[in-house]
Amino acid sequence: MAAILEVTGLHKHFGGIHVTRDVNFSMEEGEQSAIIGPNGAGKSTLMNLLTGYHRSDAGKVVFEGQDITNRPPHSIARMGISRAFQVSSIFAKMTVAENVRSAVHAQMRRSLDVFGVAARVGIEETARVLELCGLAAKRELVAGELAQGDKKRLELAIALAGRPRLLFLDEPTAGMSIDEARGTMELVDRLNRELGLTVLFTEHDMGIVFNHARKLTLLHRGEIVVQGTPAEVRANETAQKVYLGEHQV
Amino acid sequence: MNADNSNWWSRLHTRYGLSGPAAVVLLAFFLLVPLLPGEFWTIVSTEILILGLFAMSFNLLYGYMGQISFGHGAFFGLGAYATAILFARFKTAGGEIGMTDFFVSLAAGPPVAALGALIVGFFCVRLTGIYFAMLSLAFGELLFYIVFSWYSFTKGDDGIQGLLPPRFFQDAVHYYYLTLAIVVVALLAMWRITESPFGYIMRTLRDNQRRAAFLGINVRAHMLMNIVIAGAFAGVAGALWGPFSRSVSPGLLGWQESGIAVFMTLIGGAGSFMGPLLGSVIYTLLQAVVTMFTSYWPLTIGSVILLIVLFVPGGVLGLIDKRIGRRRGEAADASDQARTAAEKP
Repeated sequence: MAAILEVTGLHKHFGGIHVTRDVNFSMEEGEQSAIIGPNGAGKSTLMNLLTGYHRSDAGKVVFEGQDITNRPPHSIARMGISRAFQVSSIFAKMTVAENVRSAVHAQMRRSLDVFGVAARVGIEETARVLELCGLAAKRELVAGELAQGDKKRLELAIALAGRPRLLFLDEPTAGMSIDEARGTMELVDRLNRELGLTVLFTEHDMGIVFNHARKLTLLHRGEIVVQGTPAEVRANETAQKVYLGEHQV
Repeated sequence: MNADNSNWWSRLHTRYGLSGPAAVVLLAFFLLVPLLPGEFWTIVSTEILILGLFAMSFNLLYGYMGQISFGHGAFFGLGAYATAILFARFKTAGGEIGMTDFFVSLAAGPPVAALGALIVGFFCVRLTGIYFAMLSLAFGELLFYIVFSWYSFTKGDDGIQGLLPPRFFQDAVHYYYLTLAIVVVALLAMWRITESPFGYIMRTLRDNQRRAAFLGINVRAHMLMNIVIAGAFAGVAGALWGPFSRSVSPGLLGWQESGIAVFMTLIGGAGSFMGPLLGSVIYTLLQAVVTMFTSYWPLTIGSVILLIVLFVPGGVLGLIDKRIGRRRGEAADASDQARTAAEKP
């Protein structure tokens, strides 16, 4: 399988603090993997670098053969890379359906369309995404008034609108009940298996990580400590020392 | 008949929110105004319409895009001056203007205002919140001073006088209907834009700019487009102003004029499409009545704004919407209870 994402020598520092140090990794199409590491290891920073929210100081990011290093977020998103945030980042005053519909419009390149009627554009795709994320019954509710778990589901729905090819999920189950978390991860698995969506997620719950990721990258102080299958990472001594030890897997 | 009527009414409300019923009521009001005796109320209503359109164009930035501009008057003024300067050139020595020339000078307002908005917007879209507000204010004052000082082109502080429309439109009622027609067409266009995919993208920028960027939306480009659209509609209002008041002056570009749009929007409600127009009805009528009795108009409007901001932060339409929502909620609860009671054996 071809590499969908290739990261080489990525480097980022804020003042004197190196939050990302010489990070190299690649993802193959259809892969589902996780980035793990203690708080402050640089997981979120790495996602911010890959999606253009931060500019990297050195290194290169290549997506589907195209150099996307330091491109602005909207241009990276347009190429088919989507992300969902750790703290749900939705459009609070709009309804659930409007949230997803506008995301669909953006991916359809209809965002500058002033002549169309929003309620009639991209509605099949909107309905599909709402159905997929179990939000169809809540489509008319105002997003800001949803329960926490539903907000996270809407967060995922917005990210899925417009069929991305690579999806970054920053702690997709944070703040969810056990049942909600299971449902969400089953959905992620299904997207990966059935639709071939390439998924990279960060997660604190090691149960979820070892059940749902086929490849792990352990970050510590901005550096990659170890990379490999869950079994390989679990067997690694450094991994045990810096992170897994405290989680007793 | 009665039930039919309320059905029709509530369907209007469901489909268009409070703006539906508000539009119907306001349109009826505006169509009937010329039947009132004397020209006074017709003239006041012309002002309501022009300033209402101006306020609604401001609300494209505030209510839909989530940025407050204290320099929107600049685009109103640019539209007014574009029309006035052309108007003055077209005028014959006898002070007459032909029908075609009149409409050509009216048509000059919106594009010039849009061009001004493009230039100002280019810089403003780099900022949000208070910085956006301050930069828009700075540009507004800058344009005010250009018009104020460029005597050879704009007549500076004197303003441009004697903008007497063609004979037919010198009649207050005729000019009123012309204004009504243009404003209604402008509002329909504006409504379409707010309901387009672009209109909803504006709402996403209002709610969460960062997230919108990660959906592939070029935030600055979209903001700029909206500022240009809002500027063009402010220009339509500005164009109508000169022939209405027979003159233009640099003050039309200044911060006080910008403030009028902000006031009207706060009074009527930024949350609904028709809010600012209702705000204009309240503001302009109040001004017309209050100034008949006292010169303390600024004190009056200051107190009104104070009360609105403190007690009705959503504006008048926002308040009505909340009331209706509550009553509907209660009605639904009551009918639910009745149903469950009936279902019990």
